[in-house]
Amino acid sequence: MVTIARRTVLKVIGQLSVFGAFLIQIGGAVRAFIPNVLYEPPKKFKVGKPEDYPEGVNFVPEHRLFTVRSANEFGIISAVCTHLGCTVRWESKVPEFECPCHGSHFRPDGTVISGPAPRPLAWFALSLSPDGYLVVDRSEQVASTYRFSPPAKEKA
Amino acid sequence: MKTRLLSLWRTLTWSWTPISEREAGEAVVRNFWIHWFPAKVADQSFSWSYSLWLGTISLVLFFILTVTGFLLMFFYVPSVERAYWSIKDLDFSVSFGWLLRNQHRWAAHLMVATVFLHMARVFFTCAYRGRRALNWQVGITLLLSTLLLSFTGYLLPWDQLALWAITVGTNIAKEAPLVGDWIYFLLLGGNVIGQETLIRFYVFHVFIIPGFVLLAVAYHMWRIRKDGGLAALDRLESSAEIKEKAPVPTKTYSLFGLAKGTSVQVKGVDKIGEENSLFATPHLLRRIMLVFLVTFTATLLLAIFFNAPLEEAANPSVTPNPAKAPWYFLWLQELVADTTLHLGKYTISGGLIGGILIPGLLLLLAALWPFLDRSSPQSLGVWFPPERRTQNWIFAVIVIAIILLMYIGVAMRGPNWKIYWPWQNWPQLPTLL
Ligand code: HEM
Ligand code: FES
Repeated sequence: MVTIARRTVLKVIGQLSVFGAFLIQIGGAVRAFIPNVLYEPPKKFKVGKPEDYPEGVNFVPEHRLFTVRSANEFGIISAVCTHLGCTVRWESKVPEFECPCHGSHFRPDGTVISGPAPRPLAWFALSLSPDGYLVVDRSEQVASTYRFSPPAKEKA
Repeated sequence: MKTRLLSLWRTLTWSWTPISEREAGEAVVRNFWIHWFPAKVADQSFSWSYSLWLGTISLVLFFILTVTGFLLMFFYVPSVERAYWSIKDLDFSVSFGWLLRNQHRWAAHLMVATVFLHMARVFFTCAYRGRRALNWQVGITLLLSTLLLSFTGYLLPWDQLALWAITVGTNIAKEAPLVGDWIYFLLLGGNVIGQETLIRFYVFHVFIIPGFVLLAVAYHMWRIRKDGGLAALDRLESSAEIKEKAPVPTKTYSLFGLAKGTSVQVKGVDKIGEENSLFATPHLLRRIMLVFLVTFTATLLLAIFFNAPLEEAANPSVTPNPAKAPWYFLWLQELVADTTLHLGKYTISGGLIGGILIPGLLLLLAALWPFLDRSSPQSLGVWFPPERRTQNWIFAVIVIAIILLMYIGVAMRGPNWKIYWPWQNWPQLPTLL
């Protein structure tokens, strides 16, 4: 039979608890750096009324995206380059999206023509709020063919 | 008169006068201010042409950065609303605020350059072999820390350069396999760049990284002495010109005589000979003061005549065109722009290849180089020894490639990151969109 001295057991317990207390303290300090509350812009937001946007591609600077309109059909494409996150520009004459940081070029449907960008630009889902605003949902990505047609306005 | 004054000074500051060289050496060790110097230093260590004093210059620059940085902390506010305007205030409304800021900025640029040149010197003089391999690796962490200090530093003004540098930089980290998203979230303190991000980078810049550099530099210096001084001394020792001296008890002048192993003065003085070395005080002290003054004057002149740039206030919706990193990161920007790979239906982003894999491999190669190197002891501490021609070329080619990429980035990339030759003009672009 193995006998362990009471003194040894107590010593190990004592050492482990001091060590454990340290670990808990360190763990707590590290955990503090993972925020529980984010004061960030919501993923779902209004971008204005459908009639605010003319035909074609329009930049919405506050939200870093473009509205794409053709007649009563609306699409939302992200202006965030899929390479390393710069804001792309719309060059209507070419026409294509171009990124100033490392020169990626995208077709109007968001697919990559050239440059280092690994993925096409993202398209987001659209809906209409009860008070008549276009609502973008950044958390819901959609295909580039997705278009949203706001229902015709009812007379108030 | 002069001797009278001198002896008055002595009576006021010294309780005793050394009567022998040995006592003089001990005096150095016992003095608080200079005890970290060896008592005596070999002539070879003073050579301008061997070390180019680049390590010391780097250290002086780090010191200048610490002092100016600590003063800047009284004026800079790490808040996304106020950071940019507190820098504007430094430039335009704080008396000599511009001088402080300029000196900090130019010293930072210089430090990146001198730390790198110091590394190149150590490589070309083969001063990293054997027991010095560890100090070479400590040096690599110092090079990395210097770059990180610059990176975190130029974010703080929260201008366009800052915002887009942090955007691109953190997106590169995001490309890391498996842990990328996690690191990205931790670096940013959320999902978008904002106040949490700024304060994190600020604490890294003013406390964590400089604190680390301070400790690592102290270790770097200690190791130089424990490794037997500069590498050039090893060769002197083994050269036949130095006549064998009668064995001397290997007493070290270390504190309490407790340190084990050799230290510079033991080797230096016992083996190299008294006549081939000089007292650290005043000779080394005077030399360090000279290097300090010259370096300080250089940063001051730069600061007086050239203003540190400040772009427009950060604006997430508009990326400047072209958006360029500072020169020492432009080769990486060039790499991330050129290395996206398409393999069938798989695409590997340049952020991963050019931003993580290539620089990571280069660092690893540098760290392991001392063990791959097979040069003979004769090459230790010699500039460009013939047997090292191939190695030196490998190093030089990598450096030249990096400089070339930098040059392309600095001088040849125009709007939309297109190549423009020096004789071609950039097109006029509509400003906002
Ligand atoms: C913050 C950055 C650094 C500082 C302040 C610094 C400081 C110094 C100083 C003062 C010396 C004495 C010789 C001289 O002045 O050249 C030295 C030597 C040395 N440094 Fe550094 N250093 C830094 C970075 C590096 C880097 C990046 C490397 C290499 C990767 C490196 C590797 C070495 C080695 C191996 C020696 C011994 C050289 C010899 O024995 O000849 N250091 N350093
Ligand atoms: S961020 Fe757009 S090309 Fe690199």
